[in-house]
Amino acid sequence: MEEKIVNLEKEARGRIEGVKTVKELEELRIYYLGRKSFINQLFSALPDLEKEKKAYLGKLLNSAKKKITEWIERKEREFEEKEEIIDFTLPASKLNLGKRHIIGQVMEEICKIFKRLGFQIVEGGEIEDEWHNFSALNIPLEHPSRDVFDTFYLDIPPSEGGRYLLRSHTSPSQIRVMEKRTPPLAVISPGRVYRPDNPDASHSFMFHQIEGFCVDKEINFSHLKGVLYHFAWEFFSSQIELRFRPHYFPFTEPSAEVDISCIICGGKGLKDGGKCSVCKGKGWLEILGCGMIHPEVLKNCGINPKKFRGFAFGMGVERIAMLKYRIADIRLFFENDLRFLNQFG
Amino acid sequence: MKFTLNFIKEFFDPKEKPSCIAEKLTLAGIEVESLTKENGDWVFQIELTSNRADLLSIFGLANEIAAVLGKQLKIKIPSLKIPSLDINIFIENEEDCPLYIASVIKGIKVRKTPSWLKERLLNCGINPVNSVVDIGNYSMLKWGHPLHIFDLDKIEGDVFIRRAKDKEAFLGLDKKERKLSPSSLVIADNKKVIALAGIIGGENSCVDENTRNVLIETAIFSPLVIRKARQEAGISTESSYRFERKVFLRLLEATLSSTINLILELCGGYFVGGKKVGRIIPSSRRIKVNLSSLEKHLGAKISSKEVKEILKNLGCQLSLKSKDTIEVKPPFFRDDLKEEVDIFEEVARIRGYDKLPSKIPFILPRKDNFDFVVSLKEFLARLGLKEIITYSIVARDDLETLGEKNLIRIINPLRKEEDCLRTSLLLGMISVAKYNLNQQNEVGEFFEIAHLYQRKNSHFEERPFLGIGVVGKGPSYIKAYVEELLKFLNISNYRLEGASLKNFTNALQIVKEDKVLGFLGKLDKKIRDSFALKKELFFAQLNLPLLEEERRVKQFKPFSFYPKISRDISLAKRKDIPFKNIVKIIEDVAKELLEGFEVIDVYQGEKIPQEFIGVTLRIHYRSLQKTLEAEEVDSLHNQLRKKLEEREGIFLR
Repeated sequence: MEEKIVNLEKEARGRIEGVKTVKELEELRIYYLGRKSFINQLFSALPDLEKEKKAYLGKLLNSAKKKITEWIERKEREFEEKEEIIDFTLPASKLNLGKRHIIGQVMEEICKIFKRLGFQIVEGGEIEDEWHNFSALNIPLEHPSRDVFDTFYLDIPPSEGGRYLLRSHTSPSQIRVMEKRTPPLAVISPGRVYRPDNPDASHSFMFHQIEGFCVDKEINFSHLKGVLYHFAWEFFSSQIELRFRPHYFPFTEPSAEVDISCIICGGKGLKDGGKCSVCKGKGWLEILGCGMIHPEVLKNCGINPKKFRGFAFGMGVERIAMLKYRIADIRLFFENDLRFLNQFG
Repeated sequence: MKFTLNFIKEFFDPKEKPSCIAEKLTLAGIEVESLTKENGDWVFQIELTSNRADLLSIFGLANEIAAVLGKQLKIKIPSLKIPSLDINIFIENEEDCPLYIASVIKGIKVRKTPSWLKERLLNCGINPVNSVVDIGNYSMLKWGHPLHIFDLDKIEGDVFIRRAKDKEAFLGLDKKERKLSPSSLVIADNKKVIALAGIIGGENSCVDENTRNVLIETAIFSPLVIRKARQEAGISTESSYRFERKVFLRLLEATLSSTINLILELCGGYFVGGKKVGRIIPSSRRIKVNLSSLEKHLGAKISSKEVKEILKNLGCQLSLKSKDTIEVKPPFFRDDLKEEVDIFEEVARIRGYDKLPSKIPFILPRKDNFDFVVSLKEFLARLGLKEIITYSIVARDDLETLGEKNLIRIINPLRKEEDCLRTSLLLGMISVAKYNLNQQNEVGEFFEIAHLYQRKNSHFEERPFLGIGVVGKGPSYIKAYVEELLKFLNISNYRLEGASLKNFTNALQIVKEDKVLGFLGKLDKKIRDSFALKKELFFAQLNLPLLEEERRVKQFKPFSFYPKISRDISLAKRKDIPFKNIVKIIEDVAKELLEGFEVIDVYQGEKIPQEFIGVTLRIHYRSLQKTLEAEEVDSLHNQLRKKLEEREGIFLR
């Protein structure tokens, strides 16, 4: 009997040690300590034994029961403390994330770059008149230079500013601000503009522009260059090169178009053994137009061009976003397909 | 516009490599789009800006290239003595046509065009026709003035320069039959229209292989009239392109002289003479250029020697007025140089913009409302909404379906159906929801911030609004978004008031004092069906300037560190009793000990009458000053139970 108990103890110890799962342990617990267990059977046999043996075996049984219980509990704690193995290859939970529209984001990023230089953001209206959209900007009413400014006209009765229209660029906000306030002025004006272009991969009748201008006594062309270098380096990368190409705009003189070295081929014009498809082998990408504000424009706004000078620039937001994020079709911006929206923001 | 190196060489031979010329032209503002070798010649494809009419000729380009390469060109411009000839020319209105010269050559033979001439034309993108026409085109390319050559024998009677009669028929050299209107200027004889002035010749008077006698037309037409007429005719020709910009009398003479001499040389015949009607006085201007202003404008000091050299190379005549001031007389073909800043640009661009320094100006920062809109958008995205951008121009039919009034219409829309400015952000929301449902995307919640436009009396109103749309989810979402937004802006004490708004069932207006900040509601099924939107849409639209006006800076509100005690109440309320009545009772009884409450269960079923709805509430009590005793809370809670039970239409469960 005594030997049986000792063996049982030994056996139990080994089996408990070797247990792998909680379920197995539970089975062992029932087997060794349960109602029908060997120990319990011995306990129930105790009363029939003689007194001395009863006391001795009782002690032995109690000790065995205590030990086995301890071992099982220790094993249980072991199991509890052991962390569950996680299968991280299972798919992640689906979170409902909000998203900013990429155009909104790009506009803000650009605005913030200029804001850090001290520019103030002023949004203008989209319904404008001919004076603010054309004449004040030195754009004659009937002239080939108006060809690029095809415009939607509105059925609002004309006022002293001429016919009403949807602004075809953000430059009218320049006029609005200069009419209302006196220099020094440093303003960025983002917003929607409209032109009757039939939609295709690179045209949309509605798109976004950012206009910037700065007027003060000592402003000159070198400031225009400095500010735009700062912008391009902040927005694209400090590796980027800039090229100021003379151009013609009725509202600036001197005028320039600004190219950045192609962000795809690094300005080499070559990519993968052929012509770079983004800059078409030129190595340069046009990003904006700019210049010194024409004295006539300052005069039109009641600012004395003998005392003040200014620079101005304007850029298309979609174009810049398309370049930076390599989006091939402008229509994607306005379809608002969730598979598009969810890629950004 | 295309030109070739060999053509330039008729004036001077630039020694530089073609690629070097291309690069320098681009950096001087004449962008070379492509440079290719064709038929043994280098062809430059350039993009011209609308101010540089002088570059519409090889003559002008040669001058420009020389200046860009740091050389000065002195080209002798041919002129011509024209023996007078007795033909009748009548100009109806001198404003339409200030000058008309008709020159006559007789006894010619239309021959094969020599190959060198053909090549010039082909390389510049013009198809050869016959020797006479080709000579005209060649001369135009070289000297820049458009001309037209008629078969003299096909002209019946006199020559008239007049406006077309209404619906007057004209068959152009492009074989297109047009019905003209009085906004077009025509050349006509006694019987018919023989040319659309300055744009295209007529089939009825063209030079062909049998032509023996020709009339060469060189004239100056009003750019505005040409522009209108060619827009109406729906064409743009080499001729109209030049007339619309600017033509120069001296180049007219050069072009005519070149044409006559070449015809005589290549086609034989004799020059009979010509007739000139009208006249123009070439203007010349002098511009004072101040060198210190130049420095102030460009931000760089440029020596007077360098300035003078650049201007001379461009063909300007200079005289020194003082140490600091030069008087500049631009060459006759640089009509675009009008004032001091134009000269500044010439100096800067020939010298190279890259040689100018870059500096950052000092700017005093000023306040704006940019951060408000940005923070609002960022917040809405944080709520899980997707930002969308939809078109401001929408279909009139759609606005009319919504019963929108006072619409602003576009006079010249791209598509007839879409000719209105939107008065509501709802249409954009519907279109995005529909589009994404069609694409089988998982559609949820969107927002857009954009302007809305409305006619007001005889004027208009344009204002920014915020639209929120929730697709396929219950009303609690739209309410949550609106409430969270108002909380974010710290707008309190607003009311959500039931309102009957068109297109919406159960609409609520968001009212603060006497201002309506916006509304929210569920889109009527009827409207939804007419737009074929398959899921429910909850929509809110808020007035952005009002939100900005009403927002307040947040102030810290203290909270309690004492324990919270919560008690539940199960009740049933008749469905027609609004839940806010219950809220009112809870607030009135619990007062400052009320921390908040939540609905933990809603029940409808057998256990309560059909016209009732069961609600289980958990009320949270907490004091700012002390630890609440259970008895204290129980007594308050019992009071609340009693007050609720007393109310008609509510019973406790």
